[in-house]
Amino acid sequence: MASDSSLSEGFLTTRVDAVVNWARSNSLMPLPMGLSCCAIEMMAFAAPKYDVARFGSEAMRFSPRQADLMIVAGWVSYKMAHTIRRVWDQMADPKWCIAMGACASTGGMHRCYGVVQGCDNFLPVDVYISGCPPRPESLIHALMDIQEKVRNEYSVAQDGHFGNEMPAAAAARPKVLSSVGADAINPDGLYHQQ
Amino acid sequence: MSKKQPTTLAFRFTPADSAAGEDSNPHAKASTDVEATLEALASHFSDAVEEVIAYAGERTVRVDRARIIDVLTFLKKEQGYTYLADLGGIDRFTEDDRYEIMYNLVNMDQGKRIRVVIRVDEDSMTVPSATAVYKAANWNEREVWDMFGIRFEGHNDLRRMFMPDDFDYHPLRKEFPLLGVPGSLPLPPQTPSGGLTLDPFARAHGSIPPKSFDEPAGEDD
Repeated sequence: MASDSSLSEGFLTTRVDAVVNWARSNSLMPLPMGLSCCAIEMMAFAAPKYDVARFGSEAMRFSPRQADLMIVAGWVSYKMAHTIRRVWDQMADPKWCIAMGACASTGGMHRCYGVVQGCDNFLPVDVYISGCPPRPESLIHALMDIQEKVRNEYSVAQDGHFGNEMPAAAAARPKVLSSVGADAINPDGLYHQQ
Repeated sequence: MSKKQPTTLAFRFTPADSAAGEDSNPHAKASTDVEATLEALASHFSDAVEEVIAYAGERTVRVDRARIIDVLTFLKKEQGYTYLADLGGIDRFTEDDRYEIMYNLVNMDQGKRIRVVIRVDEDSMTVPSATAVYKAANWNEREVWDMFGIRFEGHNDLRRMFMPDDFDYHPLRKEFPLLGVPGSLPLPPQTPSGGLTLDPFARAHGSIPPKSFDEPAGEDD
């Protein structure tokens, strides 16, 4: 237990990056680019059973100005590609992109003249999800990967210092799926204190 | 105790194996039995009805392309086929009369369905538009124009339905490659400064696109 005096006195040191990334990664606002049946799974992802509010991303923003994560859910036709790119360009930096499902990632079963064979032909995609359609858990996993990526970014000192590129920071989220013991994964016991 | 024999599943209709024949479809509905309409058509349009095709317990009437509007008007006014359920094109990929256009009509009062087809030769890819009889033909005819390149005379808004307006091909023709023609459909620019492509706000930028709701006047107007 913290003493009463620690709430009113003293100070805490941290990096601006750490604070900004913590805030960004836990309040990602997705723009649901729902193009076909993957959008149904995307709705389940936001709905109470899977409840993406646990990760701070329940606020779907249909306006690109208020969103920072585009979820391309479904197959992209050549006509729609121009609109998606336009919406993407209207989103403010920093922004991330998830290609949800086989169709958005590679064209999927739509191997034909009217469908773009993967939305990475015109969008910078951060995370791809396999599946047709993927389950909501897959989308949650992709969101957690995006969060991992955000937490390891340099948000303020983007250009490095003194013209030198800065080395990548250590992972902020311990890898829990590992064959070694929990002590080796999380030696400081920061995340699972008893 | 005899071993239980696996039962043979009764697939009664396997079109992949053989043609069903004229009347051998056990799933044919009574709604497709339109003998009275066929007789009326034969008596009124003895010169226009080219063939009555019997297949799988259903009848398809092939009529003269030039008389299709007369036939449709007769079926709608006299025979009660007030509902155009479908209109579509078919590429038969034959030397003569390559394309076919089919009209699926429904009589809502009697619960009857009839299919009327016309054939279109590659030399004259123009057919009269059915929009004056059935308003519902509007978008279907635009789709047939988009996919097969068959023009409909009298259609007042014959733009492409699905593909971009400046697309050079008609994708449902048999000779069109499945993966399309490389470079025929542009992708958007990869940078924000790449300029305007396929402007979704054309009117805001000075262009006045034709309205899609300028439909031809029907009988109620």
